[in-house]
Amino acid sequence: MVNMQINKTRQNDMVICSITGDIDINSSPDIRKNLDELTGKQEKKIVLDLDNVSYIDSSGLATLVEMLKKTRKYGGKLRLSNLADKVKSLFEITKLDKLFEIYETSEQAKANF
Amino acid sequence: MSNTYLAQIHGLGQEIDGLVKDILRLLDSCAAGEAVSFDIRLCLEEALINAVKHGNKNNKNLPIKVSYCISGGKFMASVEDSGNGFDYKKIPDPTTKENLLNTSGRGVYLIRRLMDEVSFNKSGSKITMVKYLK
Repeated sequence: MVNMQINKTRQNDMVICSITGDIDINSSPDIRKNLDELTGKQEKKIVLDLDNVSYIDSSGLATLVEMLKKTRKYGGKLRLSNLADKVKSLFEITKLDKLFEIYETSEQAKANF
Repeated sequence: MSNTYLAQIHGLGQEIDGLVKDILRLLDSCAAGEAVSFDIRLCLEEALINAVKHGNKNNKNLPIKVSYCISGGKFMASVEDSGNGFDYKKIPDPTTKENLLNTSGRGVYLIRRLMDEVSFNKSGSKITMVKYLK
């Protein structure tokens, strides 16, 4: 149960969001609010770096699906990087790994974006 | 170790956090691995959130009864809300193409996939979950 923090950095036309903490029913509203700022500006290239996320629940997964839908709507792209093994396994179990572009490292996610 | 622990909660947030912390401490004392504890935490929280939101319709006056124990190398927990239940046999598969972009409906699916045994009472208002610790 780790408090959530989001750190956003811009690299040219790309925004990298590093999330720290749990992505769950408690933190999802804050995450949604933060990410809505990016989709509101119709940012085209967004990388969500989950290196410091060790726990995600179904509402956290739903928040990320919601964001993916919003970016797709205006032709933006969302990539995920640095998923912990257990977090990645939830994407696989729910088949969300077929929906999201998932990269081992944030460098790979940023490459050729 | 075969004590059965009983608890009652009425809402989300700190009540669930406190209960889950107690259970994680119990698992830690039994040297349950990180992966097992992760699965149990997730499934408990999903069951508790469903009970609060869907079972009790966020009515904080209604209790949710929780019991849990570790016995015979298994963790067992049950979560019972005060609602009318639901048809647990008719939960849509969230992994099908038409449901993949849905922003809800993954909680019970995750519980079924991550726990070793899952059952409901007839009305669907009580879920019982078992996870093998070894």
